[in-house]
Amino acid sequence: MSAIVPQLGDLGKSTRRRSKRLPWTVLVCLVIVAGVVLMTVFGAALAPQDPAAQHLTEVLAPPGSGHWLGTDELGRDVFSRLIAGARTAFVGPLVVTIGSMLIGNLLGLWSGYKGGAVDAIVMRWVDFMWALPGLLIIVVVAGAFGGGYWMAVALLLVLTIPFDTRIIRGATLEQATLPYVEAARALGLSNRRIMLLHIWPNLSATAVANAFLTFAGAIVALSGLSFLGFGVDPGSPDWGRMLSDGTNLLFENPAAALASGAMIVATAVSMNIIGDWLYESLSSRGGSK
Amino acid sequence: MIAPGKSHRPAAHETTTSTVLKVRDLGVDAVGPDGTDPIVSSFDLDLAPGETVGIVGESGSGKSLTARAIMGLLPGSLVARGQVEYGGRNLLELSEREWSHVRGREIGFVLQDPFTMLNPVFRCGRIIEESLIRDGRRRPPRSERRAEVLRRLAEVGLTDPSVADRYSFQLSGGMRQRVAVAAALARDPKILIADEPTTALDVTTQKEMLTLLRGVQKARGMSLVLITHDLRVAFAMCDRIHVMYGGSLIEVAPAADLESRPLHPYAQGLLLSEPSLDRRVVELPSIPGSVPKAREVVDCCAFATRCEWVADTCRQGRPPLLEVGRLRRSACVRLPEIGAAMDAKRARIDVAEPPTSEARSERPLIEIRDLRKEFRIGKRTVTALDGVSLSVNQGESVAIVGESGSGKTTLARTLLGLERCTSGDICIDGVPAHDWSKLSAADRRRLRGTVQMVFQDPYASLNPMRSIGSTLSEAIRSHDRGVKDTAGGVADLLKTVGLPPAYAQRKPAALSGGERQRVAIARALAVDPRLLVCDEPVSALDVSVRAQIVNLFATLRRERGVGFIFITHDLSMLRQITERVCIMHRGRLVESGPVDRILDHPTDPYTVKLLQSIPRSGAAWIDAPVTTEARRTPAGGGRRTGGRDLMGEVCDGGDTHGAA
Repeated sequence: MSAIVPQLGDLGKSTRRRSKRLPWTVLVCLVIVAGVVLMTVFGAALAPQDPAAQHLTEVLAPPGSGHWLGTDELGRDVFSRLIAGARTAFVGPLVVTIGSMLIGNLLGLWSGYKGGAVDAIVMRWVDFMWALPGLLIIVVVAGAFGGGYWMAVALLLVLTIPFDTRIIRGATLEQATLPYVEAARALGLSNRRIMLLHIWPNLSATAVANAFLTFAGAIVALSGLSFLGFGVDPGSPDWGRMLSDGTNLLFENPAAALASGAMIVATAVSMNIIGDWLYESLSSRGGSK
Repeated sequence: MIAPGKSHRPAAHETTTSTVLKVRDLGVDAVGPDGTDPIVSSFDLDLAPGETVGIVGESGSGKSLTARAIMGLLPGSLVARGQVEYGGRNLLELSEREWSHVRGREIGFVLQDPFTMLNPVFRCGRIIEESLIRDGRRRPPRSERRAEVLRRLAEVGLTDPSVADRYSFQLSGGMRQRVAVAAALARDPKILIADEPTTALDVTTQKEMLTLLRGVQKARGMSLVLITHDLRVAFAMCDRIHVMYGGSLIEVAPAADLESRPLHPYAQGLLLSEPSLDRRVVELPSIPGSVPKAREVVDCCAFATRCEWVADTCRQGRPPLLEVGRLRRSACVRLPEIGAAMDAKRARIDVAEPPTSEARSERPLIEIRDLRKEFRIGKRTVTALDGVSLSVNQGESVAIVGESGSGKTTLARTLLGLERCTSGDICIDGVPAHDWSKLSAADRRRLRGTVQMVFQDPYASLNPMRSIGSTLSEAIRSHDRGVKDTAGGVADLLKTVGLPPAYAQRKPAALSGGERQRVAIARALAVDPRLLVCDEPVSALDVSVRAQIVNLFATLRRERGVGFIFITHDLSMLRQITERVCIMHRGRLVESGPVDRILDHPTDPYTVKLLQSIPRSGAAWIDAPVTTEARRTPAGGGRRTGGRDLMGEVCDGGDTHGAA
């Protein structure tokens, strides 16, 4: 037995080394996301100029030393607005992601572990939610009750929860029949403990990866809503609204018009790639089967 | 005593001129970004026409990869080197196109798992028909093909023509394996390689399968390479046996010689850790440790880490396979020095132990009366338990034996409250426990502390995300909530099951199968139970590790007075671990009594059939028919054919094979 111990030690070391080596794509994505997070936290304070200040003499200026990305039709500095706009672009999806992860995971675990009537009710609710045309609901509700950024976020959250629920429920079904769950039941552990401390850690890779995908989807969706006019108030800096406002000026000042779109795409893609990478590294945590 | 039974077999190995397959210095390397790792090295094999050669080894010994290398079916990351000579060509140099003329037509291949190897969207007739089509010739008319398919199915014992129209999932495991054999034989290969063809099957089906293979082989004069982990199967079937360990051959010998006098410590250890059916031993001789990975033992004798006679010479390079007698080769460098010691050890073990009459309480701990359990599958109702009554005394060890689908696992799960019975009574330690959900919290806790369970598959019964220490300390806390510091308790538990305390830091992935099963046993012991229900506790483990666990059970019984219920399909361990046996068949207890009486004088025809199915060396066992009265009774019959019985067969399969 003693002869095996050092070999197993080596094994652990080699897997740790493997997970530490970061692919360069992931590194780039992490840098992008870190940049967006900085912009979110400090917002306008980072901006070289006041994002709301109008320089009517410098309307539609091309990118240059005074304005790195030029100015919009009111002469506002696009680069500064991009930095200030990160907050709404990032916080909303964050709320959607965390909210749907929490509620969706709990519902999914409960439904998959309990089965029976609980499962049937939750899953029919999920089916119902999936059948709803999401965008239409948002447009109707926002139209009826008045839009606003947080209304859009809340609606998006409600529409996202069923996706998480379904994924976690499927993964729970797979785990619930495994002997380690039965062994925990045979020890008399509470169902809550089995679900949260035994089953969930084995789903964490799926849950976390899914959260990142949700985030990427939410940032695009919220920007889309802003683009359609259901998000932030007119005038406030926001990537989606900037893209919407910039469409008219696409040929006059392409850099200003496309910059916010590029940020949306870059953030969403980065989140997707980080999510994939996290899934890979998290799912190897328990070792190979 | 074995010789007369074997006399009909061709003594092919003596005429070295006729060799159909000649393997020299075959190796398999894993090619990765960090260089190449040898997985199999210097494998030699000579196969004569009509001969049966066994390749015996545990999981990780490289036996299946060797077979795949011979077939040219290695997965992409592995590369074979060496010589595989067939028909004057080295098969390893063939192109994929040339291979397709060899596979199936020259060498047939049967895989282990009958549940996944048949394409589920094809009917069985089509699977065989597909193999029959010969390239270059026109397809014969439909009726002719159909007749040929039926003839082939009849050859493997499937005389019911409706089988050809069924999908594989509508057949039982044994029938699927037969269809697979028929498909492998469709192009009349000269060699059949069978990789664990019976491992996933029940014992009675295993015997039928082996009889079939032997019959087909004799009728066709075909050579057979049988890969198995079960020495008894190899002794029953093979002329010569190649023993593999850690990726290389460690002994090659005629079957009878290997059985009577193995010439390598590993082969001997393996032989001795297979308990004999007809006598009880004080303690099963076990091999310490677990099977190493091939790359960990490149430059030494693969068995050096576990061998009791290890010396420095064993660690100086890989020992070659040397001629040690007539037709015998062994890779033990110390054989001349330790041969006598090995013989002495074998002689010591051969002394039988009289049956123990351990004093134990006569107070029943568990009483089960007329237990019924029905499952609803769609509109059908399947009866898993059909009026089972059983009582287990404090400190007693009882075995419940049956094949898959007999309801033995359902019985255990119902007892543990993991399943609710349809009707009947269960009384555990005076508490009525037929419905755990109606028990008070205190009662439930008390029962959990009385009865605990050890599961079959140690790879799935530990939470992969939790360290051993946290798993055990949670188990301790579940029993005694007041405990603040569980570190001492965890260390004690690990010591009880023979593991060092440092293992508490590890995750299950860093443990071998045997070690995991020890942890699972420790977890069950954490609540200090009076009865352990063990569901096939050793069947997922390597043969050389099984004896360790069986001995651990014996120690626990002696030192802690824990009682056991063993759920098993393996009759060979019975005498070592229990004093009472209950035989289950189709949800009923067909026979129960003291272990010696059941094994020596069985009365129920089904018990007789089970006992006859245990592999014994020599052709006499293979060729002996299963008793006819067992066939005729509803309890024992119906395994082979018959449309009406098929549905019963189908639901039989799902129960225990999932983890196998």
